[in-house]
Amino acid sequence: MARSAARRARLLLSLLPQLRRGRTVRIADLSAALGVPSAEVASLLHDLVFCGVPPFSPDALIDLDIQADTVTVVSEPPALSRPIRLTRAELGALLAALETAGVQASDPLVRKLADAAAGAGSVELLTHTLRARPDVGCAEVYATLADAIETARKVRLTYQPVGTDASTDRVVHPHALVNRAGVWYLTGHCELAGADRTFRLDRIRYAEPLDDSFSPPTEPTTGVVPDLDRLPVATLRVPPGYSIENRDWPGAVCEPQPDGSLLVSVPYASTRWIAREVCSALGAVEALGPAEVRDAVRSYAERLLAEPTV
Amino acid sequence: MASAHERLVNLALFLASRSRPVSIEECRAAGLGYPEDADDAAFQRMFERDKDALRASGLAIVVHEDGTYSLDAERSYAGEVDLDDAECATVRAVAAALLNDPSFPFRDDLAVAVAKMDLGPFPGEPAVSSLAVTEPERQSAQARVAAEAVALRKRVRFGYTNARGESRLHEVEPYGVAYRRGRWYLVGRDVDIDEVRVYALVRATGLTPNGSSPKTPDFEPPADFSIEDHLVLPFQIGEGRFEAAALFEPGAAWRAKAATEGKGRLDQKPDGSVLWTVEAASARAFAAWCIENGPGVRPLAPEEAVRAYRDGLREVAARHG
Repeated sequence: MARSAARRARLLLSLLPQLRRGRTVRIADLSAALGVPSAEVASLLHDLVFCGVPPFSPDALIDLDIQADTVTVVSEPPALSRPIRLTRAELGALLAALETAGVQASDPLVRKLADAAAGAGSVELLTHTLRARPDVGCAEVYATLADAIETARKVRLTYQPVGTDASTDRVVHPHALVNRAGVWYLTGHCELAGADRTFRLDRIRYAEPLDDSFSPPTEPTTGVVPDLDRLPVATLRVPPGYSIENRDWPGAVCEPQPDGSLLVSVPYASTRWIAREVCSALGAVEALGPAEVRDAVRSYAERLLAEPTV
Repeated sequence: MASAHERLVNLALFLASRSRPVSIEECRAAGLGYPEDADDAAFQRMFERDKDALRASGLAIVVHEDGTYSLDAERSYAGEVDLDDAECATVRAVAAALLNDPSFPFRDDLAVAVAKMDLGPFPGEPAVSSLAVTEPERQSAQARVAAEAVALRKRVRFGYTNARGESRLHEVEPYGVAYRRGRWYLVGRDVDIDEVRVYALVRATGLTPNGSSPKTPDFEPPADFSIEDHLVLPFQIGEGRFEAAALFEPGAAWRAKAATEGKGRLDQKPDGSVLWTVEAASARAFAAWCIENGPGVRPLAPEEAVRAYRDGLREVAARHG
């Protein structure tokens, strides 16, 4: 049997409990709940009206009134009206997804899901063979922000920007949670800055929901990489044999040189960030320009050297 | 004739609606959508595949001693999941983000999981994700195949180009799949060298499971295998382990637990700082890690790491003077 047929059957079976007699459901809602496009949901619903039990007479088939945007259940499925137990693969997918937000196997949420999926395999076994851990854990902050976004409530953040060792308190209207390359960010309107800002979740020391609400934007910002075309560009020289493969330098352009070195053009939003990137290469990478980057690199190195190391 | 997926749904509904076990002949005669012109052997194969597909959907199909079938309701239906508002919001936000992330390998399973949990609609949930920025679809597809091979304990073969640009074919007994820092990895025993290795799937091509005897496992993973043991920090890669130490100063101490990813030991000091002791394989890489995760994180031991840190920073300062 084709893999697509099995997948389609699984989606159809998971739709069944949501089809209760007399209920009208928006296809967009089913699409969101299933994670498949509305057109596919509509196609699934059209297939379902051919399903039922013997003798497959009209009263033994699932009867749906399918419109452009909604479906009304005329007669509900003759069986399987309760959700089917999660399989091992489904529980694994759910735990891997939650782990990207820092939710660990010991979290009460994971325990609840595992209990509901009893028989799908132990959480311990799953976590011994599948890990999707983010660079840094942030489960508690994530849950607070996800809830605040859904309820459109402001949050108070204690935030420590990258490259600094001082925190500031600020009230933020949380708009969206965005993951890029394993790091979660919050986008939102910062009352302190009076403008929209992006916050790394692992730099949020404390997040507290407030009673004040705000009007969510109709189209929240979900981009966390600044408009690269508008950023200044630093030129870095990378010596032959030095790997920058694991560096996350959005928009970087490498130009190989005859001696095997690379000239890398790196857009930067903050001199603090690029100074730290260059310093962490411990002298292997040199910032050729502009002057503000060279100055920032030297200052950062001197600042770290001024700290005692014993 | 019904399509294959309609036939599967019909079979599931048929089994679930019967008050007594049914025979294979009853299933064939029930008009569920099996081709009428199929011979006995072809029908039997189709029926077996359908049962496997329904079991993979979560339905517990019981085979009775007389060869009849029924659905075990107790084991087929989901239990109650009592999530609080914040937990619901977390699941919805994560699911909304990853269901549309082409680099998340388990989107199909996640979609069905959240649908089964019936968390209510979450259209327009403001959450997006791109776990892997480099070749997201290819990484995701290979991670999915690898994860299935882990579950079925089937060997996989793939081409692999290492960091030095050397390419060769590998045959691996896959023990686990992991995501770290924008990349999906396969962890398993390389059959040729008889060692457990970690492979970045962005470097792999043509990852294929052993197709022979698909229901028979090719290997048994070590009983004490834990993928966590193989997911090391960058300075832990290499031979010759030694103990290293770094200090998270009071202003950075709150980040220590998350930044160290559960590796090593953290000791809170009276002044609010945190001392981190951890196994390392490269003093220079350990020094670099401290800078990447600073400010407020500095190496204390071994002396070689402290020297690499200070000499490196002096070199940086001199070159940018």
